[in-house]
Amino acid sequence: MVQNPTEKEKSLSQRVWWLALLILISLIAPFVISEFYLAILCEALVMSLLALSFNLLFGYMGQLSFGQAAFYGLGGYAVAMLMTKAHLNFWLSLVAGILLPAIIGLIVGYFCVRLRGIYFAILTLAFGQLIFFIVFKWHNFTGGDDGIQGIFPPDFLKSPTAYYYFILIVFLLSSYVLWRIIHSPFGQTIVSMRENSERTEFLGINIARYQLIAFVIAAAFAGLAGAIWVPFYRSVAPSYLTWLKSGEPVMAAILGGPSLFFGPILGMFIMTFFHAWVLGFTVYWPVVMGALILAVIFFLPGGILGFIQEKVNQRKEIRNRE
Amino acid sequence: MFLQTQGITKEFGKLRAVNNVTLEIKKGDIHAIIGPNGAGKSTYFNLVTGYHRATSGKVLFRDKEITNLPAYSRCNLGITRSFQITSIYPKLTVYESVLMGLLSHRKVTLNFFSSAKKFFKEEVWRILGDVGLADQANTLGDSISHGDKKRLELAITLGTEPELLCLDEPTCGMSPEETDIAMSLIKKFSEERGLTILFTEHDMSVVFSIAKRISVLHQGTLIADGSPQDVRNSEEVQKVYLGHAA
Repeated sequence: MVQNPTEKEKSLSQRVWWLALLILISLIAPFVISEFYLAILCEALVMSLLALSFNLLFGYMGQLSFGQAAFYGLGGYAVAMLMTKAHLNFWLSLVAGILLPAIIGLIVGYFCVRLRGIYFAILTLAFGQLIFFIVFKWHNFTGGDDGIQGIFPPDFLKSPTAYYYFILIVFLLSSYVLWRIIHSPFGQTIVSMRENSERTEFLGINIARYQLIAFVIAAAFAGLAGAIWVPFYRSVAPSYLTWLKSGEPVMAAILGGPSLFFGPILGMFIMTFFHAWVLGFTVYWPVVMGALILAVIFFLPGGILGFIQEKVNQRKEIRNRE
Repeated sequence: MFLQTQGITKEFGKLRAVNNVTLEIKKGDIHAIIGPNGAGKSTYFNLVTGYHRATSGKVLFRDKEITNLPAYSRCNLGITRSFQITSIYPKLTVYESVLMGLLSHRKVTLNFFSSAKKFFKEEVWRILGDVGLADQANTLGDSISHGDKKRLELAITLGTEPELLCLDEPTCGMSPEETDIAMSLIKKFSEERGLTILFTEHDMSVVFSIAKRISVLHQGTLIADGSPQDVRNSEEVQKVYLGHAA
């Protein structure tokens, strides 16, 4: 009946080992890989944070948000504008880069959480595009299609290696917080809403309220991702807010496996590194990516990590039976 | 006064599914709502639990008007329900499903940082033991038998520690043995926990074996209300069920 405790402990200690190994690799990475690939690694970490924020809604709450990049972009713009125009300090700008998307998320979410499924997806897409157009068209204020350049981190973070470690720390801390949220009573509640929202409502849960809270949390983390990316890239552009950008976490989650915490991270790492590599010999990257996504949807419907997990579980079951 | 509906009516377009029903459910009773197909039993249920809003009339719970309260608020006041088509969590384990009811009822669902699994272990195991699902605690909801799913739904609702438990066809699709087990469980909960139970049921032997009070609906109207003996002897009820007075 209950999973054998020794078996459970073993799988947990295995997981901790894997995690420790991955963290160790990421700590020594700057000494091993070229500066080009270090930049790609930074991008993969930042985009993974975006994908994790998206997956709180998609994988755990069961709602597809197609406007997540708007919050990512808002986080980036908040930092860029406050640092270049108001000459605000880097750290305070980062805080604003979390708060602004969270507040806009509260307003947008208020309307979106009344809907479910495809209608939720369409409305988040529409709001995302609306925010994009405001940023794109409001030339005097946001710089329009020119974007904003010359955003510099503090001196001690100016080297790519130093900034990489900064991104890594933010990524690890944020992942830990999201992990705790997902496994908390709140997380259990949004998973229950995904599984059966009617049943959950009839257990006394105000569905719209919990959807809104999750939406704001996701917007804040997406904003944080944008906020830490912009000082690394030294610039921000309206393309960060488009629906094309919003599609990236969607694809990453499907690729890696939305039902597992690490699925979207794996998906985003594959996409980012694959992208950098494919661009070396063809500009038709979307074709390659499209083929990859198709293959995963057809042959590995639970995503790559979902497939691996399934195989591991099957083997465990066989071993247990023996 | 525990639960009362005053002249409650529900119209769907031109169809009047529930027509001016005034009824009182007493605390601690096992109260059955019966009637032929289409009598309005489920609609009446839905009006009490907040699935539908009444077209007119009032619903009162503990003297408080709840006619227009959403379902989740009614649940927080102590009214929980099961559904005719079993409503469980297919991809959550039996344990997690029962835990959800407790998390909600004991107001910890806005805790963002503690592990959900650490909460209410004793209570979950007690409920699982009570309904006889302890040995399937780690099985997924959709992997258990139909009868067990019905019991799981009962266990989930018990997690909210309700005062009024509304069961819509609790034995629907069960084998006779499963029906007996389920009904004795319901009786046990009513006696041990002082739960008030309102249920609909099409199986008359079940109804007459357990209900302390029976209300009969016919075409949305209340035609009889009283002890099982009164209802059995009512000419109007016999006419509805048998087509003529016995």
